[in-house]
Amino acid sequence: MRFFQKTYIDFMGRRKMWYAFSLSIIAIGMISIPLKGGLDFGLDFTGGTEIVAQFSSAPDAGEVRAMMDKAGFLKSEIKTFGEPTRLLIRTQTAGEGTVVGDKIRAALLETFKDLNPRILEEEKIGAKVGAELRRDAFFAIVFSLFAILMYVAFRFKFIYGVGAVVALFHDVLVTLGMISIIDGVSPFLNFEIDQNMIAAFLTLVGLSVNDTVVIFDRIRENQKIHRSMGLGELMNKSLNETLSRTLITNGTIFAVIMVLFFWGGEVNRGFAFALLIGSITGTYSSIYVASAIVLDFTNRKSSRKTSAVTTGTPEYEAVK
Amino acid sequence: MKKNRGKFVFILITVALSFYFLYPTYKDYKLTKELRLLTGADSVKFLEEHDAEIRDAKGRRIKLGLDLQGGMRVVLEVNVLKLLEDLAKNKDDNFTSAMAEVKGEAAVSDLDVMDLLVKKFQEKELRLSRYYGAIRDNESDVEIKLRDETTNAIDRAMEIVRNRVDQYGVSEPSIQKQGGRRIIVELPGVTKEAEVRQLLQGTALLEFKLLIEPEIAAKVYEAVDKTMAGKPLNDSASADTTTKTAAADTTMGDTSLASLTQDQAKQEEQAKKDHPFFFLANTANTSGENWNGQLYTLEENRGKVNEILARPEIQRLLPADMSFVWSAKPAFNEGKKFYTLFAVKKTAELTGGVIVKATATIDPTYNSPVVDMEMNSEGSKAWARITGANVKKRIAIIMDNACFSAPTVISKITGGRSQITGMENVEEAKLLEIVLKAGALPAPVDIIQQASVGASLGEDSIRKGVISSLLAFGLTILFMIVYYRTGGAMADVALLLNLLFTLAVLAGFQGTLTLPGIAGIILTMAVAVDANVLIYERIREESITGKTLSASIDAGFSKAFTAIFDSNLTTFITGVILYNFGTGPVKGFALTLMVGIVASMFSAIVITRVIFDSMVERGKTINFG
Repeated sequence: MRFFQKTYIDFMGRRKMWYAFSLSIIAIGMISIPLKGGLDFGLDFTGGTEIVAQFSSAPDAGEVRAMMDKAGFLKSEIKTFGEPTRLLIRTQTAGEGTVVGDKIRAALLETFKDLNPRILEEEKIGAKVGAELRRDAFFAIVFSLFAILMYVAFRFKFIYGVGAVVALFHDVLVTLGMISIIDGVSPFLNFEIDQNMIAAFLTLVGLSVNDTVVIFDRIRENQKIHRSMGLGELMNKSLNETLSRTLITNGTIFAVIMVLFFWGGEVNRGFAFALLIGSITGTYSSIYVASAIVLDFTNRKSSRKTSAVTTGTPEYEAVK
Repeated sequence: MKKNRGKFVFILITVALSFYFLYPTYKDYKLTKELRLLTGADSVKFLEEHDAEIRDAKGRRIKLGLDLQGGMRVVLEVNVLKLLEDLAKNKDDNFTSAMAEVKGEAAVSDLDVMDLLVKKFQEKELRLSRYYGAIRDNESDVEIKLRDETTNAIDRAMEIVRNRVDQYGVSEPSIQKQGGRRIIVELPGVTKEAEVRQLLQGTALLEFKLLIEPEIAAKVYEAVDKTMAGKPLNDSASADTTTKTAAADTTMGDTSLASLTQDQAKQEEQAKKDHPFFFLANTANTSGENWNGQLYTLEENRGKVNEILARPEIQRLLPADMSFVWSAKPAFNEGKKFYTLFAVKKTAELTGGVIVKATATIDPTYNSPVVDMEMNSEGSKAWARITGANVKKRIAIIMDNACFSAPTVISKITGGRSQITGMENVEEAKLLEIVLKAGALPAPVDIIQQASVGASLGEDSIRKGVISSLLAFGLTILFMIVYYRTGGAMADVALLLNLLFTLAVLAGFQGTLTLPGIAGIILTMAVAVDANVLIYERIREESITGKTLSASIDAGFSKAFTAIFDSNLTTFITGVILYNFGTGPVKGFALTLMVGIVASMFSAIVITRVIFDSMVERGKTINFG
């Protein structure tokens, strides 16, 4: 069986248009973040106390909020967790020991006696720990991006490393924007930036760079065979040659993550969503970000070189 | 086959090793399943019969993370501020106000509390030595000593926590140090939060208690044994159960285990009936003349012995001032874990508050480890009286109701300086030092993070996680066969082996499987599929150019190699970084990702290759779709 016959698509010719497309997608996503009041950080990063409770039938969220206000925890967050009868209640107050959790627990058992509340999970994270986990996550991402830059630069050329890392930034920003939009629009899907989400981001970074490297590898190989071919043409050839593999692999990954997204349970949902977006943007960015940047940079460098030879007239430039 | 014989053997060995590592996991699953079908007396009998097997399988199976199993996770942090407050002497208004300010600053600053304190003292022109040393002490020396004290606090806290968790009797607890200040405690299956919280917090209680003299203890124990004779033991009272072989071992070398004939088994059954107490708790020597008053019990029998000793009819037999403590650490004999039971006086002679100093050193004369212990003046006076009245008797050092050592008093000790000798090794001495200090200088800890995962949520998520993984896996396998035909089927074999290797490595290295870990496995499956897709697409390309099958396979594998290698290595690098920076769930994910990538490279590049080569050699055609 064969889905894709030999193709001759001019990928690189339209790259300017796709630059504009990428930038606008990122811009929309980034604008959506302040519009919906900032990113939704998980308990790991904010610190506070969180309780997941199971009720026999769905309680009124307003009543739960009133209960929390009465207990002295203003601005608490209340949302359904997986199913309507399961609530996640969160306050930013961490408190000494487990006083906060105990108070919420007591209030729940008292206010919703009839709904038979059962505590499934309780978690408390001190504010200082939250700050530390945020810092660690930040370093984990920065370090892995740097390591990827160094490795790709070492195995290929420096500009390839830059192209790969810019593509990764692109993927992370696009996914972040999508998460923000969906989280803001959909009342059912709650996507929080927590440690699991960071793991998802790092995975999509891994998958995206994996894809980019496969294409770079083909370009490197073709460069040795077709020495006289221009880089743009060479890239088109390599992209067409690897297209079948790109779509088969990423299609499989996409299908696997779809399964996780729909049937993987609430805990895995945010994780799967990030990867779902990531697998699309990761495939796209290998072509229209990573390869395109390498091409534009190389063209500019060579045009500078040739212009030095052909246009030999001296020029004045303003000195600031 | 010939050119690949070495590889083939290597693959077989790897597969065999994987099965070996995974066998305990399978066995544990099977035993648990069988046990679930049984009820009441049957289950007790089953537990008794398979005790050794169950323990062994549990020890070597793949561990499940708390998110899959349910349980409690508590992160404790040493409260340095409180420690510094506790350590200070001659506290006055200046000190209290300075401390209050440091407290305020520490809440918002990332700086070390000790640094903040030193800075504050300099600002206020206070001297550390005024509160933490003698007047003439050098300021920087005092600071160094104080810093030492705060860093050592974590060791004391660790020991206190470990000791309490051991006494609490959780199976497979995990207690780890994180950084210089934190302790992560994971208690699978535990749901009683309030109890655990109480267990972990609160100051340690160190006591010195006089051991009951062996002659008296012997009489009491004999009376206990006599009372219990013929009475059935309440087996279901504790999950711990005896096995016949284990019980035979209690005699500690008296009976040879090697030839356990039927006759002996019968004798044993009789012994169990006649002397139920000594059957569980053995004196370890038969002569009885120089008996040291200690009883030895197998780890799993501790619950039963406790149960016997707590019975009202037994309680009536005991002298008013007698109680029992277990040794804190087990002793090992013939591969079995034994705990020692000590009979002690109920009231403590002294408590740990009187200790000023404890240091583990090596005695230069005998070149053996010793612990020097120093008491304050009040303690010294009492110690002199106690030791004077109890020469040649033993005084147990007990922390939180567990006995760490029970040295014999050689002579009256005046002046408050004692030396404890007879430790087996330096570690033992070091442990005693920590324990003695823990009683004197408490290591206050705060719970800074606590999570309790209900088993129901765990079960729910494990079910969904497993089902979705299987579904995804099935889809992938099916697709590969449909799209790449024979080649796809071979890739599926490699994929299954990949899964096998990943799980085996997890089991072999005592890794823990978490929910993100399962996600990590799914992703490495994707990476493994990618490796095969890369190779097959290449083989198809090559065969279009008119190469023979074997030449296409050769070219396909070798040309795809650099792409597979480079792309996998970059993903692997991300995994390494995640593993080092991540905590908890992220770490579990990174672990399976790293293991999976190595396994996938091996299965895609080596295993499928060997299969193809051997097929080509036999003249078979391979369909790549």
